[in-house]
Amino acid sequence: MIKSITDFINYWYFRYLMVTELYMVEKWERVTIHVIFLVIFLLFWYFNYSVLLSFTGRILGITPISSVLHAATTSKFSAAA
Amino acid sequence: MADSGGSEMSDFTATYSETATVESNSNHIGNGSVAYEKVDSEESLRNRRRLNGTAVNHRDEDLRKTTSSSQQNGLNFSKHNTSSGDKESFEEVSLISACLTYLGFYLLMVLGYINQLLFKPKVTKEENREGYVPLYNSFERFYMLYIYRRVRDCWNRPICSVPGAELTLKDRITPDYGWTFEFTGTQTRCLNLGSYNYLGFAAADGPCADDSAKMIEKRGLAYCSSRQELGTSFLHQDLEALTAKFLGTEDAIVFGMGFATNALNLPTLMSPGCLVLSDEKNHASIILGLRLSGATIKVFKHNNMKDLERVLRDALVYGQPKTGAPWKKMIICVEGVYSMEGSIVKLPEIVALKKKYKAYIYLDEAHSIGATGPHGRGIVDYYGLDPSDVDILMGTFTKSFGSAGGYIAGSKRLINFLRTNSHAHWYASSMSPPVAQQIFTSMSIILGLDGTNEGRRRIEQLARNTRYFRRRLAQIGVITYGHEDSPVIPLLVYLFSKIGAVVRTLTTRKIAVVGVGFPATPIMEGRIRFCLSAAHTKEQLDYALNVIDEISDKLGLKYSRKPRDPNPIEY
Repeated sequence: MIKSITDFINYWYFRYLMVTELYMVEKWERVTIHVIFLVIFLLFWYFNYSVLLSFTGRILGITPISSVLHAATTSKFSAAA
Repeated sequence: MADSGGSEMSDFTATYSETATVESNSNHIGNGSVAYEKVDSEESLRNRRRLNGTAVNHRDEDLRKTTSSSQQNGLNFSKHNTSSGDKESFEEVSLISACLTYLGFYLLMVLGYINQLLFKPKVTKEENREGYVPLYNSFERFYMLYIYRRVRDCWNRPICSVPGAELTLKDRITPDYGWTFEFTGTQTRCLNLGSYNYLGFAAADGPCADDSAKMIEKRGLAYCSSRQELGTSFLHQDLEALTAKFLGTEDAIVFGMGFATNALNLPTLMSPGCLVLSDEKNHASIILGLRLSGATIKVFKHNNMKDLERVLRDALVYGQPKTGAPWKKMIICVEGVYSMEGSIVKLPEIVALKKKYKAYIYLDEAHSIGATGPHGRGIVDYYGLDPSDVDILMGTFTKSFGSAGGYIAGSKRLINFLRTNSHAHWYASSMSPPVAQQIFTSMSIILGLDGTNEGRRRIEQLARNTRYFRRRLAQIGVITYGHEDSPVIPLLVYLFSKIGAVVRTLTTRKIAVVGVGFPATPIMEGRIRFCLSAAHTKEQLDYALNVIDEISDKLGLKYSRKPRDPNPIEY
């Protein structure tokens, strides 16, 4: 079971290396590229989270869940008061 | 095969349409269902348009003519393109694969620059050159050091046997990612799918080898002189006569080097003020020759007759650049079988264009001579044309004849002109006696002059091998380029990594193949090139095909989106 899973992962990692041409480069170069990939992914993630999410939310008229929660808590407090 | 049975060529159009009919018939036998489906869909499309009330335009009328009948005379390229288009395939890869190929290439470039920045390349550096511009720096050099070098073990592999149906590879390892190599001292016997040994005449024994060895004892190894001085002997004259007889031309001239035959004779035939129409996939030797000649070169799309006619007509109308004067002469430069694409030139159309516009044809048969045609006489024989329709027939002895050198054949006047003017004839050293003898013996065998059926058998074996291998590859689902009768079979793998992985994996399975990448092909179109031989047996091909099937699953080479033939392919 575990062996088949590792085989599957290894095989598709190999295919991924082939498609990105990382199959034929040295190990440190592979690591460098993966670090660059990771940094790019994180930057995108942050950008999407901070900028794109609120922007699209405003366009589509969807209120972010955080502000809904915030509004709910504040109104409960106001009702109690 | 599109052989019109040697019919008279005086009425070209009649023979031409006959050829087309034969071709389309054989197509229907080959993959009838596909062809009919196409016609059906076109028919239904047209009907739908009529139902919608759209006027049937002129193009539809054309389409119906081309699909319904093939009895038209004259030049109708769309018809022939479709009929030979079925035999020739250039399947395009999906967009996602193309994008990934580009992405991978950029990654390699970025890594190359990083590597170059951090480490000094392990190559000789130019020293004591203060203030000089570096002599050897270019994109090609960067490419060689940081992309090609990583998979360099797949190229220029040393062998230590005759490259027949099998060959012996000398094993080597690299401790530092391709900068240096070390021999391990071991050897691997491999099936050879990489040599241009089309008719299997590259052998260490047999009549060719025996005759050549005898000729060494008799005449030595070299004449050490050019043909115009002391280098001509009865051997060369016999060989020229035999070549002319083989090709059916008036005369022929032979040279000791195939590359130089193109590179040095094209400048003899052309000068500034001439127009050359050159196929975009022409070999480097033709391109070099054309550049040396100083003629105006117009490039047309690969094997695209419409584009050729457009370029030709435009050039004819506008004349020479700046002055607008008429061209001194016009020459169409094409190859018989294109060694990187595996396609076959559409010679009947080119001959028709030549007659229409009064241009000359220069046909390079480097890969087609011996390998195509029912008599092994190349493309002219393949289409059943008259050799005098092609003005200049050029070819090499390196491939099918298992030797070295090149020839030019044509009319007596042309050959006499070359004998007095060609630089290769004047200055290059003449062909070595054993080399000439090898060609002489192998050509005699192909012609059947040795009294056996051996030549015929080899030609048929190659044709069968080619059809079988190509069909099986199509069934496997990989993308191959070119014409179904061309023994050069490029298998598209696109990525450098995949070239490396395929060549390495096949070597472990005892199959030696050649990978081709930039600069021989466009950067994005890496490929594995199989060259079949008459020396291969069905068992050897079956073994290779089974291995290819297995690894193309594992490495992801099945790019083709065409319908596959579910029936087993017969040899």
